[in-house]
Formats: sequence, C-alpha cells, structure tokens
Amino acid sequence: MEVQLLFKIAAIGILVAVLHQVLVKAGREDQAMMTTLTGLVIVLAMVVKEISNLFNTVKTLFNL
Amino acid sequence: MEIVQIIGIAFVATFIVVLLRQYKPEYTIHISIIAGIIIFGLVVFKLSAIIELLQTLSNKLGVNAKFFAILIKITGIAYLSEFAVNICKDSGESAIAAKVELGSKILIVSMSIPILGALLDTMASILP
Repeated sequence: MEVQLLFKIAAIGILVAVLHQVLVKAGREDQAMMTTLTGLVIVLAMVVKEISNLFNTVKTLFNL
Repeated sequence: MEIVQIIGIAFVATFIVVLLRQYKPEYTIHISIIAGIIIFGLVVFKLSAIIELLQTLSNKLGVNAKFFAILIKITGIAYLSEFAVNICKDSGESAIAAKVELGSKILIVSMSIPILGALLDTMASILP
C-alpha cells in the first residue's frame, strides 16, 4: 500500500505540472494557479493522514 | 532482506524528487515525508521488539521502571524531532529546523529532571 502512495503523489505532481503548462500557454494563468493549488491540497490531505498515522504509531511505540 | 526494500524505496523517492524539482518543487517535501514514513513503517515492528527486550532486561536488572519509561519517551521525542528537523532542512528552512531542535532539547531536559534528582540523591548518600 505504502509505495503506491509515493507513486500517486508523483502522478499528481506531474499531472498538475502538465496542466499548469497547458493552461499558461492557453493564456489562463488564474486557472493554472487554481489547478496547482487544488493539486497541492489533495496531496497535503494524503500526507497529513499519513503523518497522523506516524504520530499514532510513535505514540504507542514509545508510550509518549 | 528489508534493507533492500528500504534502499529501493529511498532510490525511487529520490528519483521522483529530482524529477519533480524542476517542474513543481512544492511536491518534493511531500514525497520525502511519505518516503520517511514508509521506511519507518518497515522497521517499526523490529523497534517495538527491541523496546520490549530492553524493558524485560531493565526489570530483571532492577532498574527503576519510571526511569526506563522516561528513557523510552526521550528516544521517541528525539526521533520525531530529528524527523522534522531533517524535513525542514531539506526544504531549505534551517531557521525552523533550529527552533524545532531547541524545543525538543528543552523537552528532553525537562523530562530528565527526575532522573537527575535521583542521581544527586544516590551521590549524596554515597559521599560521607
């Protein structure tokens, strides 16, 4: 499951990069910025979920 | 065998970071965080086995259980703060990394006060 997450984030990053270029070339800078922001928010949501998992395991492991 | 997995994941993550850095540098931090979490997830069971072994050893040797718990807590804090410090340094924010380091040092010292107290008591009892 985990490595798949790595590839998912890489795919989102590349997709947003391509979309950004396409939209910029099409003259819609604001929409390009919007797609970058939404891509970032999606990736951030995934990463925050994984970070909370990490904190829980460390908390139970080291009984912090 | 896990070492091959760890090295594989590290290379894949590094390759993705290098690829993404020229297009969208904002995503590189997320990739390194996720790679760190995955690698930690691989070795977390061995770590808990080690901690249980140390627990049984310390009970056998008669070490005060409270001190051992504090030691384990301190290792946990040290690991987490090192994780955060390196992530901040990778993304170029060494000032934030220094603040995290300062905070973790203060937390560790404040947690080890009872141990220092017990040490002083034993020394006082030994000295005439």
